[in-house]
Amino acid sequence: MQQLSSLILPLLILAIVCYGLIKRIAVYEEFVDGAKDGFNIAVNIIPYLVAMLFAIAIFRASGALDFILLLLTPLADLLNFPAEVITMGVIRPLTGSGSVGVLAELINTHGEDSIIVKIAAVMFGSTETTLYVLAVYFGAVKIKNTSYAVQAGLMADFAGFIAAIIVCLWYFS
Amino acid sequence: MLNKIWAGLIILGLLFATGQDIQDEITNTYNNGVIHNTPYSYIEHSSNQLSLTLHNVPLSADIKNDQLLHIHLNTNSPINLLKIARANGNKNALIARIISKNDTQLSILLPELHWHKLRSVTEAAFDMAKFAVKLAIGLIGIMALWLGLMQIAEKSGLINHVVKLVQPLLYWLFPNIPKGHPVFGSISMNMAANILGLGNAATPLGIKAMQQLQSLNDNKNTASDEMCMFLALNTSSVQLLPPVTLIALMGTQVSELIIPIILATSCSTITAIVVAKLYSRRCNKQDTTCNS
Repeated sequence: MQQLSSLILPLLILAIVCYGLIKRIAVYEEFVDGAKDGFNIAVNIIPYLVAMLFAIAIFRASGALDFILLLLTPLADLLNFPAEVITMGVIRPLTGSGSVGVLAELINTHGEDSIIVKIAAVMFGSTETTLYVLAVYFGAVKIKNTSYAVQAGLMADFAGFIAAIIVCLWYFS
Repeated sequence: MLNKIWAGLIILGLLFATGQDIQDEITNTYNNGVIHNTPYSYIEHSSNQLSLTLHNVPLSADIKNDQLLHIHLNTNSPINLLKIARANGNKNALIARIISKNDTQLSILLPELHWHKLRSVTEAAFDMAKFAVKLAIGLIGIMALWLGLMQIAEKSGLINHVVKLVQPLLYWLFPNIPKGHPVFGSISMNMAANILGLGNAATPLGIKAMQQLQSLNDNKNTASDEMCMFLALNTSSVQLLPPVTLIALMGTQVSELIIPIILATSCSTITAIVVAKLYSRRCNKQDTTCNS
């Protein structure tokens, strides 16, 4: 698996450059021409990213998350799935590094073979850091009013989490 | 909606931190104003190094003069002492005032600590603001690299071959984009990167697609239906190979997770498409732009 992933990128780069040469494209010139936008885009993103990340940082550092988990634990017991995975469900759309931390912590306490870690890993693998993607993608084109994109993204996340729990409980039973 | 979520994160976070601080004040968690009595002994006849016990943990300290005590801390020291020390700007040492001292017993007063949670919350906010800039600056290189490669692939026609594979699907997802528009190239490249689990290639390619979608957008401040659909597809992350981070964390265990991940991600992607389609239909029926 790891080998496959590390092969794709170099092959892709090779394919792009070779195909360009075959089609008699001035590859170097075109590359530079395309690459010149990189700086502007990154700078455009900054205000959006600061706005989003600082709000998430306040939320995380306050410990409000632990409180929400405390409220949701009875629900998890009622529906018969491990409450620990809710942490991943809540934090995944908010922060990428945070959810890596949560997953590492779960692996540490429960072990890689536990159903908790498997569910959390599937949650991690099947969705993205919605708010980060939103800030970056819309920031790059200076869109302030995001219309219904948040709703669609968060509902997709929610569906992904429910699916991760159901699929794992069924697949690994 | 985003406005509410954003404000909600900040307000909820600050309210919660305040609540905890008030609770700390009431229960006096940090023993503000409490005089600690501890037995002490000098270490190996030295005149200013001594050992003492605080919160049942043995600690060493230097006597600076007859009034100040420099207590040494490390990462294993009691968490509340570390918090007090950090708030006073030095996480390795805590300066306490000596109230009284006889041959065996020492009475000391630690610095007071108030509003600890609120302080750490604001600190986290400022740190994150700095980190956001670092993150964006870090994107410059990878952005430039992929935009450059994309330009070659576009000019050589390589992308068109990719697009042809997924054309019917893309035309259905984005019915209002003129057929054959170059944005389909960027969208399919972004999807390909997502599917292959290449997170850091997917972002630049996705941004490129966003820019092209923006050029088709009538209202430059508001996201179009196509942009919302595209974002929803990206946040639900269609993928067949697990992301590189997950491989790094789980090692070989990851291979048995592939099928569950594909199933779960299909659910989230289908939900994303359905929700985006429903919203776009509803918004267009009302003939007003849907406000966030």
